[in-house]
Amino acid sequence: MAGAIYIIYYTYPHQYNKAGINPPDTIYNQAKDNSNIEKPCSNLHPEWRAAQVIEDVSINASPDCEPDNPYEVATSVRGTNNVSMGTLMHTDFAQDALIMGEDLDKDGDPDIINIKLEVVELNGSSPDGEFLINTFDVAPGIQPGLWVYAPKSRGMAVKNYNSLVSNPLLRAPSPVIRVEQGDKVYVTLENTHYLPHTIHLHGVDHPWMTAKGEDNDGMEEHAVFPGKSHTYEIHPRHVGTMLYHCHVQTAQHFMMGLGGMFIVEENHPNNWLQTFNVGAGVVRHPSVAVKKEYNQEYDLHYQSIDKKLAHIIQEANDPRLVAQHMARDYNMTESFENYFLLNGHSFPYTLRDSMIISSENEDIKLHVANFQRSAIALHIHGHKATITALDGVDLTQAQQITRDVLDMATAQRNDVHLKTQNDGLHSYGPGLWMFHDHVPTGTTTDGIEPGGNMAILAYKALLDEHGMPKMHEHLLDQVFNKEYYAKRQAVWTEGSFAALLGDAGILEPNYLQMLLFGAAIGLLVGLFVLLILVIKRKFKS
Amino acid sequence: MKQILIGLLFISLYQPVFAMEHGGMIMDETGMIMNANPDQLPRDCPQISENKDITIHAGQQYAEKFTGKMFAFDTQEWNVKPCAKINITFINDDQIRHQLMIHGLPGYLYPDGMFHLELNGTGQLQASLILPSQKKTYLVHCELPQHMEKGMKAQLKVEGGDGDLPSIPGISEPIKADLYNTNWNQLSYAILAFSILIGAAIVLMSVIYSEQLTRLLAKLGAKLKRNSPSDLH
Repeated sequence: MAGAIYIIYYTYPHQYNKAGINPPDTIYNQAKDNSNIEKPCSNLHPEWRAAQVIEDVSINASPDCEPDNPYEVATSVRGTNNVSMGTLMHTDFAQDALIMGEDLDKDGDPDIINIKLEVVELNGSSPDGEFLINTFDVAPGIQPGLWVYAPKSRGMAVKNYNSLVSNPLLRAPSPVIRVEQGDKVYVTLENTHYLPHTIHLHGVDHPWMTAKGEDNDGMEEHAVFPGKSHTYEIHPRHVGTMLYHCHVQTAQHFMMGLGGMFIVEENHPNNWLQTFNVGAGVVRHPSVAVKKEYNQEYDLHYQSIDKKLAHIIQEANDPRLVAQHMARDYNMTESFENYFLLNGHSFPYTLRDSMIISSENEDIKLHVANFQRSAIALHIHGHKATITALDGVDLTQAQQITRDVLDMATAQRNDVHLKTQNDGLHSYGPGLWMFHDHVPTGTTTDGIEPGGNMAILAYKALLDEHGMPKMHEHLLDQVFNKEYYAKRQAVWTEGSFAALLGDAGILEPNYLQMLLFGAAIGLLVGLFVLLILVIKRKFKS
Repeated sequence: MKQILIGLLFISLYQPVFAMEHGGMIMDETGMIMNANPDQLPRDCPQISENKDITIHAGQQYAEKFTGKMFAFDTQEWNVKPCAKINITFINDDQIRHQLMIHGLPGYLYPDGMFHLELNGTGQLQASLILPSQKKTYLVHCELPQHMEKGMKAQLKVEGGDGDLPSIPGISEPIKADLYNTNWNQLSYAILAFSILIGAAIVLMSVIYSEQLTRLLAKLGAKLKRNSPSDLH
């Protein structure tokens, strides 16, 4: 018996075992399924990249893989009431999404602006099966539940009847909204969602009440319930980069994505603004003031997602359960950030639509806003940029700071002047310079690097014809793969080092050891039964 | 009301050539009608069997009679004859956008198999369609994100239809069901304890009355044996 116990002790099968002289072979590719590999750029609309004029709106070139839809830009400038039906049909806007009214100061641009926003759930659940609907991938295979404001849209919310993918207007982040100083702006929230929401105009000059004496600050106690609408009135006197966000159950709703940039531009004659910058990023029709000083303008919306919070809307369908799980069962003080997005995407998707693309000697205006739960420390490789405004207030020449880490607490905004002048200070010359949040978690996607809000400041000569960075082929093949972000791929799989740094294989079980172990157990059990029988017989006699 | 018919453009983009004379889209700032069909008979219909006027309300308030929903139509099911012509009055009682889409229609009459009404806010629209003769259940829903999921889903049955669609409020179960808390109280624990006692009692009784039980079983077995051979032959 002692022998059996000894054998059991020494042959106990462990999960992890020593390999002897030669450790197991390297596994190069654990992916079972090549369908998880994506093309870095699908090049769907190459005709959208060129500079063009639509509806008399001049639209700048945008060499990205996924440029903004120029018809959407033109409609965002002219208004849905001032474009031809042909142009409108190239977009997903409802016909009343953006109504441009009277030119009050007779300076050649409309000053009464009616904006309609809906609340859209992305990657939501369905009672009709184990799938998500109105999907929006933030990175390969990553579909967190999201809520966004979206310009009022029309028709199918999915791409077509056989698809679960959202139409292009329904995406993160909530769109950037641009209006002119002195405009009479009416922002109507049409709550198409199943929970109450509001719009709070953070930092935007607005009276506390509307002309009718109704709520105009978007606070919790004046929530707009499902199926209802409410119009907020703004007549901004002050110029700057501001925000709008939901102020109902703010901790949760803000983290779910209900926040966007609201930018008030200087009043100038003939200043037709691009009211919506869907998906943020490059502004293809900058304002008169920006065009005077800058070659280009970008909106950079930094946002983080708590995967557990985001999952709540995917595990229950009943609105009462969602409300309970989100507001009471989930404790927001125990929240973590798992996904980090720039303009609604994490790396590598940021390369498709959120690169800053420049030539040498350009002046670029950046509007940077932090919608994360944590602070960001934005670092642009190879450049030092100048902060020209903080939270929508211009800095004097003496107050302006040129630096290479821009720190922003939650809800703060920096207006930034980025120069691509190769002078050893502002720029170190052409390159594919990465820019990212330098808080270490910011460059990860649920802990997987490279991911998060990494993007590239790309000098044009270093981009290929699809607007993707050159010299990145191996990396792109590696990361445009759902398996990589599902944590099933080794990090270094390049050249001869693949064998040295790929995944170590697994050991085959030692069958002799297992046989011995099993036999010893059997022996013990048999002995035990025998013992009982013997005792019983003795007891009987 | 300024209505703009952009039939040609839309047809050239999305529709098969033989559907050009009907279908199309009417749109203005209040909403749109896509693929209405008041006069083209389906191939399998020699004539219109019945003319049915249906009024459909859409709104948050119609979800109140159900549990766990937020949006709904006022009716969840309609029954019509094969080859019926339906004249729909679609009324939106909310301050937001709603749609009424019917799917699975023949593509040669309804591009993408779809009939689609959309109201940008409170208001109403009228449009007709003619159904083929096939016995079938058609999905009727609002396709705004989460509206169907939260209750705005109904079914249109031709000749009784070919079954119920899932998760129609008040009619059918969902495929992916939510989990709800259950009220386990003292009574339920008492019932549980009682059932355990009964289970134990059965075992005890069978031990005590084992002889009688064996005899009973033997009798039963004999009876079965006597009966079965006649069945076999």
